[in-house]
Amino acid sequence: MRPPRALRLLGGYVRRYFLQWMGGRGFLLTLVANQAVTPLIGLAVWTTALPGQRGIGAYYLALLVVRLLTVSYENHTFSNGIYAGALADGLLRPHPVVLAPLGENLAMRLWHLILGLPLLVGVGLFVAPDFRAADVAAALPALLLAALLRFLFTYLLALSAFWTERAHGLVGFGDTLIFLLGGEAAPVALLPGPLQPLGAALPFRAMLGFPAEVAAGQLDGAGVLAGYGWQIVWIGIFAAASALAWRAGVRRYTAVGG
Amino acid sequence: MRLLRLLLGIFTIALQRELAHRANLLFAALLTATGVAAGLAALGVVYTQTETLAGWRLPEMVVLLGTFTVVGGLRATFIEPNLTWFAGTVREGRLDDLLLQPAPSIFLASLGACHPWGLAQVALGLATVAFGARGLESLPTVGGVLAWAVLLAAGVAITWASRVLLACFAFWAPYVEPDVLYDAFWQLGRYPVGIYHPAVRALLTAVVPVAFIATIPARALTRGAGPPLLIGGLAAALGAVLAARLVWRVGLRRYTSATS
Repeated sequence: MRPPRALRLLGGYVRRYFLQWMGGRGFLLTLVANQAVTPLIGLAVWTTALPGQRGIGAYYLALLVVRLLTVSYENHTFSNGIYAGALADGLLRPHPVVLAPLGENLAMRLWHLILGLPLLVGVGLFVAPDFRAADVAAALPALLLAALLRFLFTYLLALSAFWTERAHGLVGFGDTLIFLLGGEAAPVALLPGPLQPLGAALPFRAMLGFPAEVAAGQLDGAGVLAGYGWQIVWIGIFAAASALAWRAGVRRYTAVGG
Repeated sequence: MRLLRLLLGIFTIALQRELAHRANLLFAALLTATGVAAGLAALGVVYTQTETLAGWRLPEMVVLLGTFTVVGGLRATFIEPNLTWFAGTVREGRLDDLLLQPAPSIFLASLGACHPWGLAQVALGLATVAFGARGLESLPTVGGVLAWAVLLAAGVAITWASRVLLACFAFWAPYVEPDVLYDAFWQLGRYPVGIYHPAVRALLTAVVPVAFIATIPARALTRGAGPPLLIGGLAAALGAVLAARLVWRVGLRRYTSATS
């Protein structure tokens, strides 16, 4: 049975953007380096701050993998299209507009993984983590959900381009929140007491730190289930918000340029 | 002196232009404040778990973060508006405009435009340094503050030189945009270089002098600086500036106009 049309279109977009970005491999390499810097700094900071603590290396290596596979540049691919008027082209196509940025997003993530593999191997050899197969297997669905959640979050912020010229700033602000509360500045377990329940509930951990914590074996069964629950809740919230924002935004969109 | 007056003129015009868009200014200031607050919060979290980080106590780290913010603000105000996507500037022939004007091309290409709203970052950085300095065990001496200012200026000069050197890449490889890589390395200066592996530490002091951005000036303010450090910093700054000018000249020699 043929897969549904939307899925086939998405596959086409992923292939197209993957090949398109093959011409920009050098630039993609610098993007990978940029994404890798913050987890590596976090690793350096926390292994210096807590020298005896085991599991920090494994956590940050897993975080690096999650970061590369959940990377989202919708403020560049989509917001810039709104500002330049290129959205008009997308609106004329006989499929939901979101398929194109989603396809580009998936292609970028694939490239980040491919180009980041040597770095991951290098960091892995340096850190020498001991991952358990069961933990990694439990983390994979969490990774998929985190990838979806991160896309929805960035896409929602990128939709602000319909109302404001500061979409890049807003996405940057979102990235700061993810850095602070999502498990990059510090693993959520190491946040000071009052912030911990907040950190556990907010979407930022669900889109970055949670899969890493599961893979590093830092959560018990109840913690894993709670984390999954939060991921699903936030995916629902952001999907609904994105749909509403899209409907409201496209109504006030008037094309610029020819 | 002529260059300084030119710089002042560039700044004044840019300021007038920026003040016409006050909402943008406010938003930029808010974003900067959020960034600094996030940095401080991240530091705070680290110091709930430990007393020192590579020998640096919390007030010293706040001074370091403030210094990093000051240099970052100066970079965002004066340097980044010109050299972002410089390879594109070269490819599309916009460099020709600069070459035809009666001022040194390296000056116009690297300092010809500015975004005064970056000074909000400088102000926040200075406030952070002052806040951190108050919490130090022994208040900084006048000599320490002077050494900090001198090494900060050296850090800014090295930042300018390294940014120009990276931009010069475009003369040899106009389809490579190394901006993002520079930003990545820049982030490494946010923490004292002591937290990194010794090999990385050596790299960050000698080859990609990220240590000069914040670690060395902050160390001068919090622990005092002897003449060797000052002389070393100034020598490094001078060397970097000369290297940047040399490479720019060499690169420009191989440049032929990009448009017809």
